Amino acid sequence: MAGREAPEASSAAAVAAHPYGERQAVDAARGDAEPGWLVDRRVEGARAFAATAMPTPALRPWRYTDVSSLAIEDHVPHPPALTVRAELPEGAYAGTIADALASRGEVVRSHLGSLVASTEGRFVAANAARWNAGVLVHLPRGSAVERPIVVELSGPEVAEGASAALLPRILVVAEERSEATVVLRLRSGDAPLLVPSVAEVVCGDHAVVRLLLDGGWGARTREFTTLRARLARGATVDVATVAIGGRIVKQTLESLIEGEGAHSDFRGVALGDHDQHFDFVTLQDHLGPRTTSNVEIKAALAGASRSIYYGVTRVEETAAGAAAEQENRNLLLSRRAKADSDPVLEILTSEVIRCGHGAAVGPVDRDALFYLQSRGLDERTALKLLVAGFFEPVARRIPLEGLPEELAATVHAKLEAADLS
Amino acid sequence: MSERAAESPILDVRGLKVSIAGPPELQIVRGVDLAVRAGEVHALMGPNGSGKSTLASAIAGSPAYLVDEGQVLLHGEDVTALAADERARRGLFLSFQYPTAIPGVTMVNLLRASLKARRGTEPSAREFLAELRETLATLKMDESFARRYVNDGFSGGEKKRAEILQLGMLKPTLAILDETDSGLDVDALRTVAEGVNALRSPEIGILIITHYERILNYVTPDFVHVLVDGRIVRSGDVSLAKRIEAEGYDPILRAIGEGATPVAAATGGE
Repeated sequence: MAGREAPEASSAAAVAAHPYGERQAVDAARGDAEPGWLVDRRVEGARAFAATAMPTPALRPWRYTDVSSLAIEDHVPHPPALTVRAELPEGAYAGTIADALASRGEVVRSHLGSLVASTEGRFVAANAARWNAGVLVHLPRGSAVERPIVVELSGPEVAEGASAALLPRILVVAEERSEATVVLRLRSGDAPLLVPSVAEVVCGDHAVVRLLLDGGWGARTREFTTLRARLARGATVDVATVAIGGRIVKQTLESLIEGEGAHSDFRGVALGDHDQHFDFVTLQDHLGPRTTSNVEIKAALAGASRSIYYGVTRVEETAAGAAAEQENRNLLLSRRAKADSDPVLEILTSEVIRCGHGAAVGPVDRDALFYLQSRGLDERTALKLLVAGFFEPVARRIPLEGLPEELAATVHAKLEAADLS
Repeated sequence: MSERAAESPILDVRGLKVSIAGPPELQIVRGVDLAVRAGEVHALMGPNGSGKSTLASAIAGSPAYLVDEGQVLLHGEDVTALAADERARRGLFLSFQYPTAIPGVTMVNLLRASLKARRGTEPSAREFLAELRETLATLKMDESFARRYVNDGFSGGEKKRAEILQLGMLKPTLAILDETDSGLDVDALRTVAEGVNALRSPEIGILIITHYERILNYVTPDFVHVLVDGRIVRSGDVSLAKRIEAEGYDPILRAIGEGATPVAAATGGE
């Protein structure tokens, strides 16, 4: 290791005075006694970080989320509180990546970074260099986990004024005919927190992975997530995201639907108030024949909150018989709330079974509001019911027991104080 | 309840003039007086476009209409300036002519929320369920109905029965049924009428708005009023409805056209 660092000593990455420099990444990795190959990955991440500029609004996925004034390097990685609860069959694993390195180092080594390369962008590079909340779910062939695996990730409480970063790294490796549901409970306090996050989901033949991102961030948390799944023959990935907290939540959710007959599902709900900013970017990339996919994202926006959706359904030449649906709906609960929606179809084969997309931005249905008020519900209570109802069809299809009720309760609590003017 | 309130009609509409919120503003109800007392069933009839639904919506407090003049009193209290929900919590219930679909909100959600809003406390789960089952049975509705989204994908008959289900559960003191009979086959009409009859009591006032007299064959009104061009032009007993059944509205329209003086006040209490 020492031998390979020397020639780089003068490079910008190596001498950088911020936490995402090469030396800092190496020091942190060595401090955690990470194996050499992982230290190398960290170095690659630091180099990518040095070589990559922040995205600008000139890039389509960043058009409405201007991060040019955000300096990732000012945010110091702080270790989070991380717990994983699971009832696992023999051979399966759910826990930290650190704990898995000794027993399943080869699984981590061959899959970590296999779907999201550190050179893709600055947030991803920062994560590769310094991820500090690593979670591995490994399901060997035929392994079915009945109860949801629950990962609780809480941002550090840092003194006012300090800028902290939390860098989650989620790796799910589901081998042939395995099945599991993973729930990520994401929490943080009131202090400013930056969360460059990466998740990779590798689904073998006929594997089924359901992943719920439950975003209960504090008001000053800014999340930038890249999630990518790759699906082999007959596999299913079902990703649901619930964005309630946070100042900025930007999630890029992508599915490489490679195997014949594989299915990808992305569902999301976002409830905004104040100056909350949600930005969802999706890609359903149909590569294999008879693959299917569905994207449904719904945002309800109070105060001066904002939601952006930009999604591409791509059906490649090799994807004859594919079927895809893509829908984004936005409910404006106040005059200052705003939404932008841009679903895109790129169809490169003539043999598509069905490919639909829809977008809507609009205020609450006045007739529905009057109907509820005529039953005795005051305007705010009626709006709570309408918003919970707006989310309900999405929530109900998220395969997690009790989620619709949990979400309805969250909606009622948040709208109790929301700016609906 | 004060002595005055006890003596007051449940609903007292005084000189009401109502316009559609513009632009352009258009006055639809052009001076209506109507009083409904406890225990009474009134039928308000009239040809299409006479202003029946506008009157019903304005009494219920729809923001789509503007009250230009006059007052609406519930139990003696002027509610003209109150929002729809405040009127509902004072005992008013409107069965809509065209009930709105509310995807994502189940009938159970709606009923629980409505009962909570009216009573101030959440009904107990057991009590609620018992009441719901009983009302569903009265209306010959399957229990699965209660788990469906409000009016979403309902047939015309299901929508009307869903309105009567709410009426039965919420137990208002003033029920306004806006064309609840339209679009129903005979069986559904009979079921809905039975629901209304089951509700009749000395404590409740009912105003049935209808274009046809069909429902009045099942629910016998104490008073019948005819609305033409935003004004009540005839008031009488059930024989007035029978006459319209036999002759249609033409004789009344001709009589007005010939300069007959419209019957302005129809308090129904005389």
